[in-house]
Amino acid sequence: MPDAAPLWATVILPVALAVAAVITAGLDAVVSGVAERGHAGSVGEAGRRAMAPLREALRLLVQQPRRTTAADRLLERLGVVLVPVAAVLAGAVLPWGFRSVSDPSVGVVWFNTMEALAWAAVWLAGWGPNSALSLIGGYRFLAQGLAYELPHMFAITTAALGAESLRVGDVVAAQDGLWFVVWMPVAFVVYLLSALAMAFWGPFEYPLARDAAGGAAVELTGVDRLVLLGGRWMLLVVTAGFSVPLFLGGGHGPLLPGWAWTLLKTAAVLALLVAGRRLLPTLRMERYTELAWMVLVPLTLLQALVVAIVVLNR
Amino acid sequence: MDLRGFLRRTAMQRPAVLTVALPGATQLRLAVEAEVRGREWPTASAPAAADLLVVCGAPEPEDREWLDCIKRSMPEPAVRIMVEETGHVAHALDRARRELTGRAATPREHEADRQWDPTAGGSGAHAHGDDHDHRAHHGSSPSQAPDDHGRRHQSADQGHDGHATHLGQEGHERHDPDDHDGHMDHMDQEGHAGHMDHMGHDMHAMGEVAGLAMAERGDDRDELRLDQLHVPIGPGLPDWPTGLILRLTLQGDVVQGVEVDHLPAPPGHRMPFWDEPWLRAAQGEEVSSGSAARQRCAAHLDSVGRLLAVVGWHDVAARCRRLRDEVLSGASRLGISRELGGVLRGVERSRVLRWSIAGLGELPSSRAGESGVTGPALAANGDSYDRLRMWVDEIERALEVLDDERPLTPGELTGPRGRLDGEQPPSRALLDILPELLTGAEFACARIIVASLDPDIDELALTPVSGAAHA
Repeated sequence: MPDAAPLWATVILPVALAVAAVITAGLDAVVSGVAERGHAGSVGEAGRRAMAPLREALRLLVQQPRRTTAADRLLERLGVVLVPVAAVLAGAVLPWGFRSVSDPSVGVVWFNTMEALAWAAVWLAGWGPNSALSLIGGYRFLAQGLAYELPHMFAITTAALGAESLRVGDVVAAQDGLWFVVWMPVAFVVYLLSALAMAFWGPFEYPLARDAAGGAAVELTGVDRLVLLGGRWMLLVVTAGFSVPLFLGGGHGPLLPGWAWTLLKTAAVLALLVAGRRLLPTLRMERYTELAWMVLVPLTLLQALVVAIVVLNR
Repeated sequence: MDLRGFLRRTAMQRPAVLTVALPGATQLRLAVEAEVRGREWPTASAPAAADLLVVCGAPEPEDREWLDCIKRSMPEPAVRIMVEETGHVAHALDRARRELTGRAATPREHEADRQWDPTAGGSGAHAHGDDHDHRAHHGSSPSQAPDDHGRRHQSADQGHDGHATHLGQEGHERHDPDDHDGHMDHMDQEGHAGHMDHMGHDMHAMGEVAGLAMAERGDDRDELRLDQLHVPIGPGLPDWPTGLILRLTLQGDVVQGVEVDHLPAPPGHRMPFWDEPWLRAAQGEEVSSGSAARQRCAAHLDSVGRLLAVVGWHDVAARCRRLRDEVLSGASRLGISRELGGVLRGVERSRVLRWSIAGLGELPSSRAGESGVTGPALAANGDSYDRLRMWVDEIERALEVLDDERPLTPGELTGPRGRLDGEQPPSRALLDILPELLTGAEFACARIIVASLDPDIDELALTPVSGAAHA
């Protein structure tokens, strides 16, 4: 049973997530920079490229927002703000080593609920501006949700099943010795895919895709844009980070303390996702839904079945 | 000085650029893209994300309206520049940045959180005056006299499907649907369409919200009566063929109807950039087959880059564009073939890419032949993926003869998009085939199909040129 984190962790959490988001976005900018402009000549050059997210943030802060005609400001703002809020709330059950801000008995469900909040967020942000392309972006996220949600639920259920508990702390404790990824590889891979889909980033950036000129974000300016896009990076960090307690043994590991292992593992997962993004075009839900329902759902069900049998015979 | 001012100026050191090219300005577009990339300025995918609008080419009077519209939909401090000569790109961008940092440091408070409303005559007039200033400042090329556009309209060249007739007027008369159709549709783009398109239809409005009509209804593919939007998408969209305008009838994101239009291609005086070597050879100039191969290679890399950007494979798209510029600036075969070969192999091997775009925009060669399509789109004999593979094959073949110094045979008249000696320019046929390929497709698929054909509006002005060459 993990200890409760001190109260100041509540304040630290959003800051830590934001810092992690900036670092991840910086890494992404460096890797993209190689494709766009060739290899950075020096470390300084690479460093300058890594600063791109911060420059971008400052630029958006200086912009003066403008509205579209007959926009639903309330819903639009709500949608935009919900993205980082969902990320932080989901991060509350994320154990740092063996401690999280909160470790409720239904932590896994809580995490999944916060991700449903992201559905609402993107849909509202797409609906709000009264603009055709942003509405298309909103629709796309609903399609995306339908495609990834089922396999995703089965994947995290599998981990909870293996630990016989919905408490995230118990899931970590159950992996003392053998990480879940070893005997639940399918669930792990499906979880990584749905982590990207939840954060509508990378191959799953369909709702915000460039072919619709930015989709749900097409009309966002200044601070609104910063909050939504920054929130998306935070969401990516949280969803990628949650794979560590679910499948990668959380803070368990030799020599180093728990918090260091969490940090290392999270960084490794994020680096994998950022690097892997280069290999794939954006997945259109029209095609992905077929894969998700015809292949991933049966696979995750099978995985859950195997785990259930193992647990019953233990 | 004060920290706020410092931060405001710093923020605009690298403004986000939205590049809008006009027909006939391909070379300028390439120069601007290369310069922006070299400066590591971010590129914007929509006006809302942009600080700086770079217009490549000399706008016709009737372009003014939609360009103003894009400018107005950018957040302050928004600056627009027009670039009309390749040599002036760097200079123009420098000046634009200076202007941006200046304006960011002293924001105009009264404009904060302003509502962007294309229908308001008053704000329109205001923005006009505003832009005019910029034009005078940076009107970019010194060679171009800052002229009074407002007045030039009246005598503007007529005959571009009727736009010219009404564009001179500043105030919009809101009671003539037809009148508005003409230029409002032009404003394309980036989703402002939602509130733009109503103007052609506000006569049949069921009700109005903030002066905007409600959506119409129509039967969808399952015969359900659903909302229907008329969304023109067009010249300001990123990764979109220069100057192309599609007037879509959308239900959700399904394309129900398409009307193909384009910005007027400036007639005659300049050859379409991508077809230059072949046309020059036809006119009797000596052109090496290496330079023709180079042009074909670069033209296809441009198209491949655009298609990959549309499917969201950004890294490879960026590589294609960088390599395109290297090919054009005379990189030797040995110098470039390693990286280019790697990129092309990556494209060929990607199963996810194949799975993603196979089956879209099926165009068998029998149908293509009937409608006059030539070049890679005919030879591909298949869907978007086959056309992409055909481009890749042609790039590989062109790469082999990149440094070939032998002269191009004057009889060889097949440009990157097809035969230049046919009855009509190759891109004409590509445009004509669009409606039947796009109807019924989803928005994302429609964009992929358009990108996989990549018609070049520059070519539409070609007829007299090649005709003369052949007389």
